[in-house]
Amino acid sequence: MPNIAKLWNKLADPKNIPRLFALILGLLLIAGFLIPIGLNTDQIYTRPAPQSQMDAGLTIAPYDRGGEILESPGITEAQYPENSQNLGWINSYMTPIADMLKGISPYFGTSICASPGGLIDEILYYTRGFDTILESSILMMAFIIASWLAINFTMDRKEEKGEGDIEEDVKRAIASSDRIANEVEMSNRKARKKQAKKEFR
Amino acid sequence: MLIENLGGNLMGTIPLGDIVLYLNSLHIFLFVTILVFTALIAISRTETQVEAMFGSLDENKVSVGKKEFKQRRFLAIICGIATAGAMITGDLFNFTLFMALIGIVNIGIVSAVKHVDVLNSAYQYGLIAMMCGLPLFGGAAMILAATGTLSLFELAAIPASPMMIFGALVMLIGVCGESGIAPFFASKAEMFRTPGSPFILIIHLSSLFIIVRFVEILLIIL
Repeated sequence: MPNIAKLWNKLADPKNIPRLFALILGLLLIAGFLIPIGLNTDQIYTRPAPQSQMDAGLTIAPYDRGGEILESPGITEAQYPENSQNLGWINSYMTPIADMLKGISPYFGTSICASPGGLIDEILYYTRGFDTILESSILMMAFIIASWLAINFTMDRKEEKGEGDIEEDVKRAIASSDRIANEVEMSNRKARKKQAKKEFR
Repeated sequence: MLIENLGGNLMGTIPLGDIVLYLNSLHIFLFVTILVFTALIAISRTETQVEAMFGSLDENKVSVGKKEFKQRRFLAIICGIATAGAMITGDLFNFTLFMALIGIVNIGIVSAVKHVDVLNSAYQYGLIAMMCGLPLFGGAAMILAATGTLSLFELAAIPASPMMIFGALVMLIGVCGESGIAPFFASKAEMFRTPGSPFILIIHLSSLFIIVRFVEILLIIL
């Protein structure tokens, strides 16, 4: 039983909690090696077989999804096709610079500056339209708050003078605990004297 | 498990492209409750802690300054809105994003405090929150790799595979650490020992709501 009590006391100390968490997480991740990897190849954003577009001689391999701008739709898939019915019409749109780059060499297709921007627009702003805005604004909010905290509550704290200075607080806490210890000591001494007097009588 | 079995009748969907929010009675209840609490917290004032002094009949009042009060109120409102978003979202990745925001805001609410013990435990909680980034996003990524979708509607129809179960377990560890339930409660519980009660309460409230919602998500996935 006392062992359990000791364990509970250790759990009540905030210092031990990150260690415990890291231990549990590490054990779980190690156990993850035993899990068979079952990847779903039927992903929503289709990929052609590796090297097939390269062998076919397409200039923007491996990101060619076919289609002509506003003439015929290319290959783009959506989770809910009924919500985005005009899918794929601007699949193959490229900026003039990207168009020029793809003419220079077939190997620029893997770089972002010569891949079809229309495809990214289709995925980011058409099928996942609202989500792109929502996710990036949540992330931006998180980063703004984190950096605001870092600026206001870590670096500037030493220069903050006056009532709420943290070093002052620490000093005051130490002083008050010293004073209390002194008082206790004094009263102890008095009590002992009294006791000694009584016994002497 | 079917969505209808868990949260009551499906009242409708809000199709926003590939992101389909769905409304049922459980989600609406959680969403409205957290918004009402956020509104109450936004209009309330902070408490003043009264500490008895040792060896005398005097008392020591600990109150919150105006600047600190404003900062905390702002962060508490953000925390409430993020929790409300996590209640109603129909996308697993958005849920993890809201969780990450709640973790950062929770540290922010207590970091304005000038108590050494509280700051120390907030630091320890911050370490956990940082570590939680891996299991939260990693778990969501694992589920995405195993199923090819993050929409809870679609996930409800897909039978659970070992990798999905593992991904959900990893996410569970992340949510446990981030919301500070047992056995990781100590660092978060120490954070409550600071003046400024209603803003501190939203930390607790948000983690309670998150746990309820995550249990529902687990049941949907598995």
